[in-house]
Amino acid sequence: MNTEVKLHPSTELLNRFVQGELVTGKSVVVAAHVELCESCSAKAEELQALAVSSWVDPGNVLQPDQSSAADYSSTVARIVTYPQIKSEPIEDLVEVDIDVLNHSIKLPKVLAKAASQGLKWKKVPGGISEAQLFLDNETLCEFIYMAPGCQIPVHTHQGSESTLVLDGSFEDELGEYKTSDFIIRDAQHNHQPLSTEGCLCFAVLDSPLKFTKGLARLMNPVNRYKFKKAISRVA
Amino acid sequence: MYRNYAKQDVINNEVGLTVRLAAMNTTTPSPDAEDSVVSDEALLIAVGNNQDVDAFNQLFTRFAKKILALGMKLTRNEQLANDLIQESMLNVWLKAPLYDLDKGSAKGWIFTLSRNRCFDMLRKQKRQPNCISADDIWPLESGAEPTMVHEDIAGQQVELSVIEGYFDKLPDSQRAVVEQIYIKDRTHEEAAAHLQIPLGTLKSRLRLGVAKLRNMIGVDQ
Ligand SMILES: [Zn+2]
Repeated sequence: MNTEVKLHPSTELLNRFVQGELVTGKSVVVAAHVELCESCSAKAEELQALAVSSWVDPGNVLQPDQSSAADYSSTVARIVTYPQIKSEPIEDLVEVDIDVLNHSIKLPKVLAKAASQGLKWKKVPGGISEAQLFLDNETLCEFIYMAPGCQIPVHTHQGSESTLVLDGSFEDELGEYKTSDFIIRDAQHNHQPLSTEGCLCFAVLDSPLKFTKGLARLMNPVNRYKFKKAISRVA
Repeated sequence: MYRNYAKQDVINNEVGLTVRLAAMNTTTPSPDAEDSVVSDEALLIAVGNNQDVDAFNQLFTRFAKKILALGMKLTRNEQLANDLIQESMLNVWLKAPLYDLDKGSAKGWIFTLSRNRCFDMLRKQKRQPNCISADDIWPLESGAEPTMVHEDIAGQQVELSVIEGYFDKLPDSQRAVVEQIYIKDRTHEEAAAHLQIPLGTLKSRLRLGVAKLRNMIGVDQ
């Protein structure tokens, strides 16, 4: 079993990110890490340069459909009637701070934008609070705050979970994770995160959690329900 | 004086104007580009500075199939992929003045634009919430608009001769734009046309040049 701890997204994931192949939730969590991590930001730039240099005309198999090829000149004629944009629109700077215990945490820009319509925090047993974001219809995205000393019950994932540590730290059987770390967990991992100092994370799951030990197993139907609900909210 | 623009191609556009197009020293031309072939960058600059329809037509021809391929890969839907060509090329036209040749090739710029439009098209098609868009996920490195006015530097009460000394220390490309705006009193658009660079590049070089001047003035005082 590969138990390698990955604190950065893999090259493959970064590559799919720059190519635009990831679903929105995954794109957002990777983008937030890239915003916080200089080396991944540089790597993403290199990967994009590679994608651009290999962006070539397709072979004969793929042709623009005949009707639209014939329409190109009328398309161009229509396009060039629009006035051009002379300066970048000045965007309202969105800032979102999340207050925990005795300090407040400024979110990376992409998460601030995603959370700008407000977060509804819900307390769940064990000193954990969660706030969901609805970004697409394939993932469950949520901020998770673990109070100091709090532990999440042992669980595995049926799909994969990408977690970005935004503040503080937590640990599990495989290591310790600190601010800006990017962690991927999948069905192979059975883990029990523990945070001594408290921790704010943003997590994106592509299927529900499954608790594997003790009374927490009773929560599995709830997890499945929560996941379905998150998906149906946007569907 | 402007060593950046030493290599120039000449084309005639359809209204009979002679447009001298700048080749750039900042990006490497693609290996198959011959000297006689107008670069993507030159075409994009002609579109942004002169609303050159012929140059836009050429860009359309060069990129339609590439955009289609990208669209097919990401959407697996022929209709959407064909829509993407129009959507992306419309954005190329609209945003051509914002292209900054100091930040990358025209092909890279068009790739980014097409990928982002594709991402948003798919989100729209799947009726996903619009709290976030592709431009938030892949942000353009956006400096704020330069807001300085002439008084800014004058207000620092520095001898003009001192400023001129600093001015000479600027890199050529930045000195050229500062000269156009502050000495020749041209508008941004006039200066971009004169220097044959995109408006976006003019603004970013101006921002850098003025910041450097301010810095030098501040440091010496
Ligand atoms: Zn990283």
